Amino acid sequence: MKIACCTLLCAASLLAFPAGILAADVSIDSSTYFGFARKDVTGAVKETLLPATQFLGLTVAGLGDGNLSLHLYGWGRTDLGDKSSSKAVSNDIASFNSDKSTGSLSYGYLQYRFNQANATVRGGRFSIHEGIANELVDGVSVRTDLPLGFGLSAFGGATVHTAKIYGENSDGKGDFLSGGRLNYRYGGLLEIGLSGVYETAAPKLVTRTAANYRRVGGDLWLTPVKAVDIIGHSSYNPETKQFADHSYLITFKPYQKLNLTGEFNQQRDQSFLYAWTMFSSSALNPNDKSTSYGGSASYEVSKNVEAAADYKHYSRERGTAERFGGDVRLNFQENSVRGGIGYHYLNAASGFAIGTNPSASYHELRCYVMHDTKGLFSAIDLLGNRFKEKIYNETNAWETTATLGYHITPTLALSGDVGYGRNPQFTEEVKGLLRVTYNFIGGKK
Amino acid sequence: MRTWKLLLPLLALAGLIGIIASCAQMKTVPGIPASHPETLAIGQQVSCAECHEDQQKGTMKAFNAFSHTRSFVKNHRFYAASDDRLCATCHKSSFCADCHTNKAEMKPSTRYGERPDREFQHRGNFITLHKIEGKLDPASCYRCHGRANNDRCVACHR
Ligand code: HEC
Ligand code: HEC
Ligand code: HEC
Ligand code: HEC
Ligand code: HEC
Repeated sequence: MKIACCTLLCAASLLAFPAGILAADVSIDSSTYFGFARKDVTGAVKETLLPATQFLGLTVAGLGDGNLSLHLYGWGRTDLGDKSSSKAVSNDIASFNSDKSTGSLSYGYLQYRFNQANATVRGGRFSIHEGIANELVDGVSVRTDLPLGFGLSAFGGATVHTAKIYGENSDGKGDFLSGGRLNYRYGGLLEIGLSGVYETAAPKLVTRTAANYRRVGGDLWLTPVKAVDIIGHSSYNPETKQFADHSYLITFKPYQKLNLTGEFNQQRDQSFLYAWTMFSSSALNPNDKSTSYGGSASYEVSKNVEAAADYKHYSRERGTAERFGGDVRLNFQENSVRGGIGYHYLNAASGFAIGTNPSASYHELRCYVMHDTKGLFSAIDLLGNRFKEKIYNETNAWETTATLGYHITPTLALSGDVGYGRNPQFTEEVKGLLRVTYNFIGGKK
Repeated sequence: MRTWKLLLPLLALAGLIGIIASCAQMKTVPGIPASHPETLAIGQQVSCAECHEDQQKGTMKAFNAFSHTRSFVKNHRFYAASDDRLCATCHKSSFCADCHTNKAEMKPSTRYGERPDREFQHRGNFITLHKIEGKLDPASCYRCHGRANNDRCVACHR
């Protein structure tokens, strides 16, 4: 599989060049990263990571009668130092699901677009966003608008499997997946949609409860007056025979510079997270609910300054929490100099804390400045957290990153990052990254 | 066998769409272009209203609803659910796949270290904080790590 991916990527990159001469509409995005990280992990050995990663994207438009296009994107990585699959892992449990080199095809599909009614047909690996259906499939999809404001879409194919769950022989997903959406629009006033996903039976698991992934739902977009939009959806889990979630957003733009929003989200934990095999969510208490609501306001003080504030309240069986804060963003010299500063506080009950900590509350402060020119570009980013109660004996966590780069040509750029941080998990962390990006857009445009 | 059960309705639908597409009524249903006619500068909050005034053609919504305000970016899931094809006029799938994929090799904030102005979901060392954030709003994590992109998680979450 991995070899197949790497071969595919290499083949794709080789193909790209002759294609560039032949076809009119080829674009290539390539980015290569050489990373360096040295971690001093509390109570464990020092790790030195030297991953080399290549991302490659290829789009060829204007094939066939001009409406056919090819879209490919994927990556491959190899480790020159310690295995980096373990980089998130603090102790000695690195040997599961980790390899010195790996890769993945994020997507690869052919698309045909009709000239009218936004009709498209896709085949290959692609992602779908249709109402409550958000999936990645190896298969086929079709969509079209219909007369009188109706629209229809459908997809089906093989599921894209991910990492095996520890102690199991699979990732807990069924092998085939299908779904679709039917919608109706009335002028610019209203849109309603009905959508669903159906996955074939989940595999039998050794220690966890297998859970079939099936969901149906309805979505809504209402514009009662010009400055107001109400958007959201509700979904139902036919396996648990309960509602899975409700998620609604209202936005109000009284005038262009001011933007107010309110949101409401509620999930029945078992029904919404049902097929999350990693946490055996199908075994959760069917009565547990998570609710969050909040609001935000942003205001364009002047052409160079924007200020925003937000608030969100969470409640779960574990307790309640609230987060509030704000930030200011600045831009100067026609957007080539940008900066931001923000502060948030999470005030959370002990039920959300790590381990047996008495509190989960923490402050977060962030600021950055960046400068972008035709030649040189640079950025500095600083992120700090202060915990109300010590976490693993530390009160603070912080990290800073500085970037310097140069656009060698309009399509080719070279840049480097250096970062340093201290936090409860890794007492000390030094990181470096060298980045080469190449973005070629061919064709008429 | 199962594959066929799933593919048959799809093929039938594709056929149906083929027929519809060739029928005269369909020719009057407006479409949006494959790609946005104007290339927009990156690194700013795109205000559609700056260049577009009224409602989009046909049954489309007001342009201004899609202006990339702070809240639009934060809540883009609501907009993508019904207007994914509009997003695709400006965004390649890879733009979305950097944050949404089955297997992401690098944290977006690390990959795009030169872009501190972007709204990436995790910055800094998230391993510590995720133990709090994951309890606060597991549904939000599930959207990306539930049925995808959990390679790294299963090393600890056994
Ligand atoms: C370094 C090991 C490690 C990795 C890697 C890791 N986690 Fe965790 N995670 C933990 C620990 C330990 C806890 C529990 C902390 C506690 O409750 O004290 C936790 C808690 C959580 C919780 C809260 C669960 C609860 O108790 O309700 C969620 C959700 C979560 N992790 C999701 C993830 C996801 C998603 C990933 C991968 C993207 C991930 N974790 C990767 C160690 C890890
Ligand atoms: C810098 C100016 C500019 C900005 C900003 C801009 N557009 Fe456009 N857009 C254009 C131009 C020019 C055209 C082509 C002329 C036309 O059809 O209006 C166009 C065309 C379109 C079309 C095709 C119209 C049709 O029916 O054929 C759509 C859809 C569209 N834009 C959506 C958007 C959305 C959504 C945004 C905000 C996220 C946006 N545009 C922001 C300049 C802009
Ligand atoms: C008219 C063009 C246009 C359309 C249509 C459009 N976008 Fe964007 N979008 C942009 C540009 C330009 C940026 C800025 C990219 C950058 O700064 O690198 C952006 C940025 C974003 C970002 C990232 C912001 C960040 O800080 O990382 C998201 C998320 C996004 N768009 C989602 C969407 C979704 C979802 C849709 C469809 C509902 C959509 N966009 C439609 C032009 C467009
Ligand atoms: C900068 C990172 C980023 C980019 C780029 C991005 N997204 Fe998202 N997306 C997120 C985050 C974070 C969430 C979760 C929000 C939440 O839980 O409230 C999300 C959620 C979603 C969801 C809801 C998923 C679900 O299962 O409910 C959809 C659909 C979506 N995004 C579509 C898109 C599309 C389409 C694009 C490209 C135009 C895109 N996103 C680009 C970060 C991103
Ligand atoms: C928009 C999609 C998205 C959402 C929503 C999201 N993540 Fe992630 N997350 C990613 C991506 C992409 C990565 C990088 C992939 C990797 O490191 O394997 C990542 C990485 C992580 C990591 C490793 C971080 C590190 O510093 O190495 C943890 C832990 C994690 N996520 C936990 C969570 C938790 C907990 C939530 C919910 C509060 C969450 N994520 C929500 C996309 C998402």
